[in-house]
Amino acid sequence: MKPESDAWQALNRHAAAQLRGGFADRVLRAAHGPQPEAWRQLQSRGAAQLRPGFAERVLRAARAAADMPSLGSQFVLSAATAALCVLAVIYFHQRNVAAADERNLAEWRQVVTVAEDFDAGQL
Amino acid sequence: MESTSPTALADLVRRAQKGDENAQRELIVSYQHRVAGFVYAMTGRSDYVEDLAQQVFIKMVRAIDRLQAPAQFESWLFRLARNTCIDQLRRQKLRRIFLPFGEEHENIPEPPGAVDSEELDALRHALDQLRPQDRALLALVQEGRSHAEIAETLGTSVAAVKARLHRAREHLREHYQPEHET
Repeated sequence: MKPESDAWQALNRHAAAQLRGGFADRVLRAAHGPQPEAWRQLQSRGAAQLRPGFAERVLRAARAAADMPSLGSQFVLSAATAALCVLAVIYFHQRNVAAADERNLAEWRQVVTVAEDFDAGQL
Repeated sequence: MESTSPTALADLVRRAQKGDENAQRELIVSYQHRVAGFVYAMTGRSDYVEDLAQQVFIKMVRAIDRLQAPAQFESWLFRLARNTCIDQLRRQKLRRIFLPFGEEHENIPEPPGAVDSEELDALRHALDQLRPQDRALLALVQEGRSHAEIAETLGTSVAAVKARLHRAREHLREHYQPEHET
């Protein structure tokens, strides 16, 4: 055997030694993509995460959710409460303003009376 | 539910629509494993499966009376599952923006021995590299949904579904490397 062939064979052996066992299988798997078995395992693994009594828990949670007021009704209630608060604020503000006006008017009347008396006395 | 005829399924759905709790329970029991598998394919997280599957079925119970065609139940249910998973993944992405340190806690690797085989591990890794929409597409096909049903679910044409599916399969193949280095 010629030395050059030896060198090529040594190179081939070295290259071949770099490949791990099951190389052909890995290449084929990568080329074909996931097989149905891998998908089936994925499905089983997901299914295995559900604890026993899952359906009962869902139905209980759905019932609890149904008993809760809906988002719409919560919004209506909030809007009605806010409107009532605004009306109450306006009403009390108006009442205070009216009372203050009346008080001020009464004081002015008093001032006017005193001023008129004072004018009458001066004359 | 594979063994149940379409007529029997439609009857069961009609009973569930009328508020029959036994029919609702039967629907949940029949589909819980398939929905759980779908959720797992979409999220790749075991700890999300029960919560998300529960959300899907609660939505089902609350909205089933609005389902117009009982025969379309399966495709409607998987549409609910897809939307629930995509919403969850979006919320998770938003949380990562506002809580940058949350990411390392959210991506907790599966516990040792949790992964059943090299193929499953590789499939989970490959799915994880895809966009959630593409993952949903592949998972819906695995669930046996037709191109027409998927097109209806996504509000697009059958041709667009075929093209997207082709691209998604290509991407999956690119990333599918059993014994990948993690």
